[in-house]
Amino acid sequence: MQIKRAAVIGSGVMGSGIAAHFANAGIPVVLLDIASKEGDRSAIAKGAVQKLLKADPAPFMHPKNAKLVTPGNLEDDLHLLAEVDWIVEAIVENPAIKADLYTRIDPVRKEGSVVSSNTSTIPLNVLVEGQSEAFQRDFLITHFFNPPRYMRLLEIVGGEKTRPDALAAVADFCDRNLGKGVVRCKDTPGFIANRIGVYWIQTAINAAVDLGLTVEEADAIVGRPMGIPKTGVFGLVDLVGLDLMPHIAKSLLATLPENDAYRAAFREHPVITKMIAEGYTGRKGKGGFYRLNRAGGQKVKEAIDLTTGEYRRSEKVKLESVSAAGRDLKALADFPDKTGQYARKVLAQTLAYAASLVPEIADSIVAVDEGMRLGYNWKHGPFELIDRLGTAWFADLCRSEGIPVPALVETAAGQPFYRVEDGKLQHLTTAGVYDNVVRPEGVLLLSDIKRASKPVWKNGSASLWDIGDGVLCVEFTSKMNAVDGDIMAAYGKAMGLIGDGKGQWKALVIHNEADNFSVGANLGLALFALNIGMWPQIEEMVEGGQRTYRALKYAPFPVVAAPSGLALGGGCEILLHSDHVQAHAETYMGLVEVGVGLIPAWGGCTEMLARYSKNPKAPKGLMPPIATAFETISLAKVAKSAAEAKDLMYLRASDGITMNRDRLLADAKAKALELAQSYTPPEKTTYTLPGPTGRTALELFLEGFALQGKATPHDQVVCGALAEVLTGGNADITEPVTEERMLGLERKAFMELVRTSGTIDRVEHMLTTGKPLRN
Amino acid sequence: MPIYKAPLEDVRFVLDEIVGADKLAQLPGYEDATPDLINQVLEEGAKLCEEVLFPLNQSGDEEGCTFENGVVRTPKGFKEAYDTYIAAGWQGLSCDPNYGGQGLPKLVNTMLEEFICSANLSFGMYPGLSLGAYNALSMYGSEELKQRFLGRLVDGTWSGTMCLTEPHCGTDLGLIRTKAVPQEDGSHKITGTKIFISAGEHDLTENILHLVLARLPDAPAGTRGISLFLVPKFLPKDDGTPGPRNGVACGSIEHKMGIKASSTCVMNFEDATGWLVGEPHKGMRAMFVMMNAARLAVGIQGLGLAEVSYQNAVNYARERLQGRSLKGAKHPDKPADPIIVHPDVRKNLLTARAYTEGARALGALVGYHLDVAERHPDPRTRKEADEFVQLMTPIVKALFTDIGFDAANIAVQVHGGHGFIWETGVEQYVRDARICQIYEGTNGIQALDLVGRKLGQDMGRLLRRFFHPVAADIETDMEKEELAEFALPLAKAFAKLQQATAIIAQKGLKDPEEAGAAASDYLRLFGLVALGWMWLRMVKAAQAKLAAGEGNAAFYDAKVKTARFYMAKLLPQTNALFITIMAGAKPLMELEDAAF
Repeated sequence: MQIKRAAVIGSGVMGSGIAAHFANAGIPVVLLDIASKEGDRSAIAKGAVQKLLKADPAPFMHPKNAKLVTPGNLEDDLHLLAEVDWIVEAIVENPAIKADLYTRIDPVRKEGSVVSSNTSTIPLNVLVEGQSEAFQRDFLITHFFNPPRYMRLLEIVGGEKTRPDALAAVADFCDRNLGKGVVRCKDTPGFIANRIGVYWIQTAINAAVDLGLTVEEADAIVGRPMGIPKTGVFGLVDLVGLDLMPHIAKSLLATLPENDAYRAAFREHPVITKMIAEGYTGRKGKGGFYRLNRAGGQKVKEAIDLTTGEYRRSEKVKLESVSAAGRDLKALADFPDKTGQYARKVLAQTLAYAASLVPEIADSIVAVDEGMRLGYNWKHGPFELIDRLGTAWFADLCRSEGIPVPALVETAAGQPFYRVEDGKLQHLTTAGVYDNVVRPEGVLLLSDIKRASKPVWKNGSASLWDIGDGVLCVEFTSKMNAVDGDIMAAYGKAMGLIGDGKGQWKALVIHNEADNFSVGANLGLALFALNIGMWPQIEEMVEGGQRTYRALKYAPFPVVAAPSGLALGGGCEILLHSDHVQAHAETYMGLVEVGVGLIPAWGGCTEMLARYSKNPKAPKGLMPPIATAFETISLAKVAKSAAEAKDLMYLRASDGITMNRDRLLADAKAKALELAQSYTPPEKTTYTLPGPTGRTALELFLEGFALQGKATPHDQVVCGALAEVLTGGNADITEPVTEERMLGLERKAFMELVRTSGTIDRVEHMLTTGKPLRN
Repeated sequence: MPIYKAPLEDVRFVLDEIVGADKLAQLPGYEDATPDLINQVLEEGAKLCEEVLFPLNQSGDEEGCTFENGVVRTPKGFKEAYDTYIAAGWQGLSCDPNYGGQGLPKLVNTMLEEFICSANLSFGMYPGLSLGAYNALSMYGSEELKQRFLGRLVDGTWSGTMCLTEPHCGTDLGLIRTKAVPQEDGSHKITGTKIFISAGEHDLTENILHLVLARLPDAPAGTRGISLFLVPKFLPKDDGTPGPRNGVACGSIEHKMGIKASSTCVMNFEDATGWLVGEPHKGMRAMFVMMNAARLAVGIQGLGLAEVSYQNAVNYARERLQGRSLKGAKHPDKPADPIIVHPDVRKNLLTARAYTEGARALGALVGYHLDVAERHPDPRTRKEADEFVQLMTPIVKALFTDIGFDAANIAVQVHGGHGFIWETGVEQYVRDARICQIYEGTNGIQALDLVGRKLGQDMGRLLRRFFHPVAADIETDMEKEELAEFALPLAKAFAKLQQATAIIAQKGLKDPEEAGAAASDYLRLFGLVALGWMWLRMVKAAQAKLAAGEGNAAFYDAKVKTARFYMAKLLPQTNALFITIMAGAKPLMELEDAAF
């Protein structure tokens, strides 16, 4: 079966978010909610779509996707369900109400269509009770995480009667089209992520209270040091909502096995109960464990005192245990103070709990780790964390904490849960043997390649990998993937190896698996060079980058870039020079140099101008493409998705978008090989530019901005330099400007700006505060 | 007998044409500090140094301080000289008029300090320490403490000390053991032993105010648990006059290599009454105020010794007739030519001269920035000036004191065998100069401060205050035909400095030992470039005057020729230093400790 149209019932935060994400995948989706008694009967679902358009972070990858959502109501529009292949139910967590809805939709839905519930707590067997045989065959649970666009986990549960082909089709669709990491779960309460996550939250709160830690101290332990987002546990509950926790607890307590450890761990803390009662429910309420107190015109970060329940000024904590332990989790758990003890308790209880749940909630540890990584953004899943401690050490830890050693840990008997054998990642099964970790078909991970081979070449900031079939891959390894001389050298090395593309190597792919593709040029290095006035070296850095990027563009072999996350500044410019970009849907491109008082000078201005000039939709004339490039660069626009990047022309219409990160490299490689079959480098562009007259026009525009207070004095300096580049310096329309000349203008403007104190102040401010300076 | 004349003409040149000291009068509070006034003050100061202080230098060295029954006596004539010094108000020259000071710029005081250190370094220690105490107290002391004590430091009737070092710790102040116990009346009882306390006990003033680092009972370990206390020798009575003796006494004085007329004391504190200066546990911060000022002052000591050494070397080289010029007799009327005709003697003299004049210009520039950092109406300008001072402080301290010692050695060398004789007077400069390279943080520590703290701060922001103006000067002057011969060698040395800076910063991030291994060579490289920069500015000013036919042509002509000497004969040391720096830490670290 194929999923071409979908429906979501229930237009709350989850339902509408899921609908938006269907639209992101290009799937027309019907969004139904109950009919309003007065006025527009579909007002609720329509209102939800309006809310989606305003929400931040945006549920839609592009505002136009909203057109794919057809809002309606459950009384007049049920017939619309007859056209869809998959119906997702995301209404209130009440079995009776859900059952009633199912009976209503079953008769109208298309034969063979799939129905799934987004329930997070109700077992599947309860949901299908009393429904038709056909319904039961077509029914499954698809549990999305909030927000559906951004959270990668999708837990999928089939019942005894669920058609395997339906399950497979939905799983495949969610993987390829929605970009989810699909984890098959058993029909047990809370499935995988919430089952473990809720227990972890409860344990971490209990231990903080018992040991007398402040919320800041607790979060400083149960955060970064454990590879958990820095919100830690109290910050996370603030995000989720304090009031939601008792509901989840209640539901879990109603369904969990009698002897489940959560029952013993569950505790209501008077301070928290009081907070909820008074409306301190987290970020959506008056505040949570943390809040920004804006009283008196100042923003003061405050935190709850867990003993008194009163807010106090939040303290930045620097824990001795954390700095002493470094990356050694064992040392942290062994540190002889209450924060070390805290780490010990939380690790022992949470990991033992997780380990005791296999095979109860999932057949393999791989699913559990994946669930926690994708559902809670943990860097390492529970079993990977135990491996960091060592299974034998962990068993001792359990014993010393008076926790029964989980059977699976006994099975491991000192062996790790994961190992690499012949370059293949393997995991320990419940039977005590190692099995290969199997990736879905069509998934190619650089991390797997790295496990199985040695780099072809590497330096301090980049590595070259053989990703098979004659394709070479450049991986950035510098901090934040900042672009520096070593990365340029790696490109040079790659070009040398590939040569004319007719030998061992056919094509180049630029890809990495970090959260962000690249944040741009290494500003720290640049600032230092700038502080000591190394102007010739700085100019050489600019010119060297231009040379390298151009060499890649005109190389006799195809270059395909496969970014995900942020691709800014110099990291964006390399994408502009690639023959093809296969972008992850969540790619955020932008030429943001103006923010640090500079202009793109690794060919960014030149490439953008070429793109806008060739845009068939643009108005005729010399100025429109220049004005558009000026606007995009001077406002440092960052696309909030790959789809938006196409609008801004950071991506070309021909560039590809991959929804699932795990499939990005495979897609890029396939494209590279396809291009390699009959590759010819692009033609050089020449530019017809107006020169000083055009610049005057842009400067007038800029002055207008300054008068309205929208441009600061240094904005004017920077944008003035940008205007000079984009209009071709002293060009004149009778003489076309070459690319080389354009790059010369970029360089000249860059070197002028880099010497101004306004620019130096901006760079320094960005590096010290992480925020742009408006000077 | 040694000679000394304060280098007033060169000081005026530096102030007027290099630093632009006329801008001082534009700073709030310095309206009166016009070039004319500054000149008058310096002329008076020069007279005092030449006529009162200088004649006591050799005798003070011979007699030294004496210690008997807890009493320290300074050499003959010191008390009278000190009385003359304070009677004319010199102690309060740059102090706050609200406390009786004259409120003149720090730059003026810096120049005067050079004269004092040339004339009599040992004497200079006493007022110098008082000024350090004044700085710390005026910045961190409570209003009450200031009212009670500052006026006395300013008029010089009482003097001050800095009590940091203890028998087991000098550089590493985190180890300090002296205790402070809070009393009900808000005062503290201080107990402990301090050593190497300059001016700790003497007979020049009626009372001595000790600024003492000590630990409160609840103090955290290390430097974050150190507080600063004011402990007077005599507790003042209500009328402000010295009252009962406090629990502090001099245990002994040191017998030293040099600065023998400066008392260096072991100070024993036993339940001595003291008052907290600044906040509890924040004593290091206040200490750094004293220390940074003191480091610059010690740098100026080096400059003072370099100047007096140079003057005596030249004097002797002109007088001493011995042999003939290598190209035949230059003074056939005399039995022999003066030794100044010989290339190697001239090299010695020019070396001392070029370093000294370069250092004077740089010292004045830093002194000027001290005033800008304190007084300029624009906060950004103040901050930038302060950053320049911060960056240059370790360089001034270490480079100038090295230069002082080198020049003193040169003076002995030029004097030949006579230089080795005490009566000649120049060997004293070698002995006196030696301590300047050690106290207030050894020159090795200064180098670590430069590479460890100043270099990387805010990704090199402090560096910008030096590198940008130098780069700009080089760029402009390279274009000018008459300056290119000076700007080009500087440009080459500057490029080496840039490269070394970038490499040390990069290597040092990964391996601090790499930065440590490069530190002292790097400081010297930096210092040589800084002096080269001063010489470029000086030669530019001198050429302008010569071209305009203004002023003393011989003086400006000498400037141009000395600049040429510096660029051609001294600055190229930067090449060797660069190579040494590039060689990294391995040659220093590979020999096992046990094999030494």
